[in-house]
Amino acid sequence: GTPRGQGRATQLSSPFPVCSLDVPFPSSREATIALRSLSPDKEPRKGGISKLITVSGSTLSVRWSADEARILRVSVNSFLDHLSLVMETMEMFGPPVAV
Amino acid sequence: MTVVIGFEGSANKIGIGIIRDGEVLSNPRRTYITPPGQGFLPSDTARHHRAVILTVLKEALEQAGLKPADIDCVAYTKGPGMGAPLVTVALVARTVSQLWGKPLLGVNHCIGHIEMGRLITKANNPTVLYVSGGNTQVIAYSERRYRIFGETIDIAVGNCLDRFARVIKISNDPSPGYNIEQMAKKGSQYVELPYTVKGMDVSFSGILSYIEDAAHKMLSSGQCTSEDLCFSLQETLFSMLVEITERAMAHCGSQEVLIVGGVGCNKYAEAFKFCIDNGAMIAQAGWEMFRSGQVTELEDSWITQRYRTDEVEVTWRD
Repeated sequence: GTPRGQGRATQLSSPFPVCSLDVPFPSSREATIALRSLSPDKEPRKGGISKLITVSGSTLSVRWSADEARILRVSVNSFLDHLSLVMETMEMFGPPVAV
Repeated sequence: MTVVIGFEGSANKIGIGIIRDGEVLSNPRRTYITPPGQGFLPSDTARHHRAVILTVLKEALEQAGLKPADIDCVAYTKGPGMGAPLVTVALVARTVSQLWGKPLLGVNHCIGHIEMGRLITKANNPTVLYVSGGNTQVIAYSERRYRIFGETIDIAVGNCLDRFARVIKISNDPSPGYNIEQMAKKGSQYVELPYTVKGMDVSFSGILSYIEDAAHKMLSSGQCTSEDLCFSLQETLFSMLVEITERAMAHCGSQEVLIVGGVGCNKYAEAFKFCIDNGAMIAQAGWEMFRSGQVTELEDSWITQRYRTDEVEVTWRD
C-alpha cells in the first residue's frame, strides 16, 4: 500500500517553530531504506535549522526545529519533495530484494 | 563481466547510462532548456530532473535489455555541480542501490568526463582539456591523481558563452554554445577583446563584462553584428585555451590532447553525444573505481557542490 504521512507544524509559546512528521512504511526495511536515502545530505542552509530523522518499527519520523517559521517551511517543503521522490522510486522499482 | 549503471544530473542535463565492460548499452538523457535570455536556476533544474528521472531510469534498463539483477554497481555524481539537482539524482541512486542490493559509488563529475574520453579515444596518456558550462581545467594524470595544471580563476568558458548568449538573446535550444557557434560561422569582422591568460591559468569574467558592454554599444550603433561578436568571442576564448593547454603539454612532454566537457562539442562533432553530460560517463568512471575496489557507504554518499578533480585517488591507474 502507499505510505501516508501525518505531520503538524506548531508555533509554541517559545519563539522556535518546530515540526514533526511520522510516515508509516509497509515494513521496517523499507522505512530504513528511506532513512538511509534521505539522511546523508546536509541542509543547504548552514544555520537556523536542525532536523533529525529516525526509524522506529516501520515508521520514519522527522523532527525539525528552526529559528524562524520561514526557515522551517523551506526545509520541510524540500524534505517532502525528497520523500515523495524516494517513495515513488520504491513503488516503481521495489520491493527490496531478499537479503 | 561488470555492469554499472551511472546517474548524472549536476547541471541542466539528466542522464542515466549503463556500461558493460566498456560497451555503452544505453544512455538516455533529457535537457532542461530555458527560454532565450534566461539561464537555469537550481530549484527549477531540480524540479525538471525530478519529473523525468524515473522515466529515464526505466528507459535505461529497457534500452539495455537488462533487469536490476544484472547490474553490479550503482554509480552517481557526488559532485561538483548544483546542489538541488545533485540531491535529486543521488536520492534515486541511493534508493535503487538499496532496493536492488547493489553497492553504491559516488563519482566526481569531471573524472566521469575524463574516463569516458579515455574509453572512446583509447588515448594513452593525454593532456586533458576539460571545458564546460561549469568547469575549465587543464588536467594531466600523474601518480594516482588527475592533477590540475591550469584552470579558470573565475568563471568557466562555457559559462562565459552561455551568459553572452543571454545578452544577445539567442535560443538555448539545443544549447547556447551551439547557437553561438552557428552564428560565428557567419561573422566577418574580428572585434578585439581582452586576452586574459595568466600563466598556467585563464580568466573569463573580464572578457564577459567587456563583451556585454560592447554588445550594447556596438550593436546599437551598427558597428558590428551579433555574428561578428560571436566569432570574435569564440576565437579569443579558444586561443586562450590552446595557449594554456600547450603550456601543460610542454610541461608533461605529452603529444595528445583529450577535449572533454560540453564546450568540447564545438568543432568536434564526432564525440558530440559523450562530450555533453551523460549517465554513461558516470557509469564508466564507476566501472573503473568499482573494479579497483572502491565503494561509497551510504552515510558518506552526501553530494557536494565543490569537488576538485585532484581530490580523488585514482586507484585504477598506475
